[in-house]
Amino acid sequence: MEIEVTQTGGVTLVVPKGDLDMGTADQMKRTLTELIEKGQSKLVMDLTGVAYVDSSGLGALVAAMKQARAVGGNLKLCGLQEDVRSIFEMTRLIKVMAVHSDRQEAVASW
Amino acid sequence: MRAETLVITSESRELARVRAWLGEQLARRGLDSHAQSALQVAVGELTTNSIKHAYEGRAGEPIHISVESREDSVVIQVEDFGKPFDPSRYRHPDLDEMNESGVGLYIVKRLADELTYDLARERGTRWTLVKYQAGTRPRSA
Repeated sequence: MEIEVTQTGGVTLVVPKGDLDMGTADQMKRTLTELIEKGQSKLVMDLTGVAYVDSSGLGALVAAMKQARAVGGNLKLCGLQEDVRSIFEMTRLIKVMAVHSDRQEAVASW
Repeated sequence: MRAETLVITSESRELARVRAWLGEQLARRGLDSHAQSALQVAVGELTTNSIKHAYEGRAGEPIHISVESREDSVVIQVEDFGKPFDPSRYRHPDLDEMNESGVGLYIVKRLADELTYDLARERGTRWTLVKYQAGTRPRSA
């Protein structure tokens, strides 16, 4: 999975491309953990380029969100494709995670 | 349309191949993109369970995935030959908690119209998932 990381203001923008499954969840978790440990805990992830998320992928995002929140940050999401969004709705994560419609809105919410 | 079977080995890199093959099978059987996507997730979760739990992460073990069309439905089976699924260990996840694991089978149950498993075998588990065509799901299903 390709994961692009950029800074915009005090916010770290994470843009993965590819499927988020058992095979890529560890890579995602490691990337987010390293950012948080470096003090970059205000995170926005744009999922526009992710067409598939399974429970392993959700687990990686939830773990990072908890880790970020524990140090005063958060992991905010945007750009969820319809089928990906339905998995977040099904597991009710849509209610507990900060989900925005697009990147601008998510970054501005900080 | 006759049943088709894909045989993979128990490695996470195989999951993308399962998704591609299944998408092609379901498209040929007339399922729309949302139904394809839902079944790709459901079958992906069952395959992941076989890799993680039945084979406990061991690579190179066989997993069989088959798709069969019936008049009113598509039937998909995922079969492994490892440690059998133990239903007594399944816990419905508390969705008010932020779960880092334990939601895979819950997702499958939500996406399938019917989900059964067969443990009466020498080894392993065979999962059978049924997805009815729109408007054909029996009341009892």
